[in-house]
Amino acid sequence: MTRNTRILMSVIYWAFIVYLFVPLALMVTMGFKDSKFIGFPIRSWTLDWYAAVIQDTQVLSVFGYSMTIAIATTILSLIIGTWVAVFLGPNQFRGKAIIFALACLPAVIPGIISAIALRIFARLIDIEPGMFAIILGHTVHNVPFVALVVMARLSTQPKSHIEAARDLGADSIVAFFRVTLPYLKPALIGAGIFCMLLSFDDFVRAFFLGGYQPTLPVLIFAKLRSGMSPEINAISTIVLIMTAILGLWAERSMRRLNKGS
Amino acid sequence: MTGEKDTIVHIDNVTKRFGNVVAVDQLDMKIMAGEFVTFLGPSGCGKSTTLRMLGGFENPSEGRIVLDGVDVTSQPPNRRDVNMVFQDYALFPHMTVGQNVSFGLELKGKSRPEIERRMAELLDFLQLSGFRDRTPDQLSGGQRQRVALARALAPDPKLLLLDEPLGALDAKLRGQVQIELKDIQKRTGKTFFFVTHDQEEALTMSDRIVVMNAGRVEQSGTPEDLYFRPESRFVAEFIGETNLINGTVRGVEENAVVLDWNGLSVRGSGHGHRPAAGDNVTASLRLENVTCHNKKPANQNAVEGKVISKLFKGSRTSLDIRVGEREDSIIRAIWTLAMLPKLPMISSGLAGSRNV
Repeated sequence: MTRNTRILMSVIYWAFIVYLFVPLALMVTMGFKDSKFIGFPIRSWTLDWYAAVIQDTQVLSVFGYSMTIAIATTILSLIIGTWVAVFLGPNQFRGKAIIFALACLPAVIPGIISAIALRIFARLIDIEPGMFAIILGHTVHNVPFVALVVMARLSTQPKSHIEAARDLGADSIVAFFRVTLPYLKPALIGAGIFCMLLSFDDFVRAFFLGGYQPTLPVLIFAKLRSGMSPEINAISTIVLIMTAILGLWAERSMRRLNKGS
Repeated sequence: MTGEKDTIVHIDNVTKRFGNVVAVDQLDMKIMAGEFVTFLGPSGCGKSTTLRMLGGFENPSEGRIVLDGVDVTSQPPNRRDVNMVFQDYALFPHMTVGQNVSFGLELKGKSRPEIERRMAELLDFLQLSGFRDRTPDQLSGGQRQRVALARALAPDPKLLLLDEPLGALDAKLRGQVQIELKDIQKRTGKTFFFVTHDQEEALTMSDRIVVMNAGRVEQSGTPEDLYFRPESRFVAEFIGETNLINGTVRGVEENAVVLDWNGLSVRGSGHGHRPAAGDNVTASLRLENVTCHNKKPANQNAVEGKVISKLFKGSRTSLDIRVGEREDSIIRAIWTLAMLPKLPMISSGLAGSRNV
């Protein structure tokens, strides 16, 4: 690489970083502005917007609602996704490729289309719009990600581990729970956190499948329609910090676990 | 209870096919209690398939496997009183050494104090006591190998399978582990079924070696039997280094077969084979049985030859000697360092040739 291309590369890199972080920084900054109007100049600072968020029972209950959906979705997705991966992983059978493609389809279907389809389907089988419908919608969407991550991890497990467990007296179910599942732990942590973030962040499916109770992204959207307020910036900043911490922690613990085995 | 001379395993006419490929062909063999049996052969000879059938990981296409009087042919691995040391050790990475060793005991439903006692006993026996709370990635190759052995011995199996367990160790350690393994086998009195492609491992540790080739048993016997009295060309070549002499039988005497080898007369033992005059046979002459003299001795197997190359290997030197006129009449000999000063350059004696 010549000197000039190296300079060009680093300029592009830094331009990308600026493009990524300036909007976020602006959003965070405005959350501390002591005025209802978003924009410069900022004459005085305040934490009032954060105090308002913490005292806003609607925001708090919606936050809890979104968390409940995210946790339920994650648990369901992990169980179904792992089952799909274990079922599809080592066995060779006719139509495996088709089943695999079908299982992965929900991950690539546009959100709006799958949301409308799920809405129609939910009405058809008499599921009320609301938490249960959203959880089902999110799970369908998340299972492929879990299955792919778990399959990748599963393919690195030496066959002899399971054989050793069988040899020492474990039937195939005991061998799975005592040897394979611990081996999958880093993949399950990573996939689980990814599922939580996907579910927590989802707007389209929650909007179409939800009832009267909004999820956090739907609430933010509703608040935006009645005018931009720094309270929204404060909510967004809190969510940003929480997800960043969760993501970093997941990345670190996955790296540590991967190294350990 | 099984005595010293009882059959512990009977591999009863077992055949294993993978599609059209016959991996093991009508193998019929008994293994005695307390025996150290080694299955030796090149890769793909069927030795590992035999081991896996004994462990329950493959089902025989034909025949039965009888363990201590019970037909276990269709029993899954977890139901058999057989344990295995895997080639890659297959230690559970998320468990400590202690947890690995006690895994089989827990699944056997042993009580906690009993598990603790047995685990401590085995860790002590294999000099692993200080490593109980370490995970496998904190151990050296030799320590991992001992943990795998402890884990397999813990449930007190009737038969211990060892699938090339020394392959992952470096050469220096391997020699030491061979001695340890033989010692452990003697002290526990367990029946060891060892699989390897390394003839040195087989020779140093086994009570009995079974040489396999292309799914069949070539020869079975003590290490000395196989080394000194190979019954086929394959065995002679596979175990140790040897000179193979292709010749025509001139005549058969009481204890010897006389060969015509490129015009030279060679006498050797037939080891039960009694070929007729005129047959084409192959004789094996071990390198260390070739002795060199400055003058041709009156010995019957003495021939003249010329050293054409000399390879110094430290404690010994290997010599290639051409005997007679023909280009391909080359004999390789091994000389220890002590003999080197007396090394003649011209003549060579030939002794102890065998007919196979």
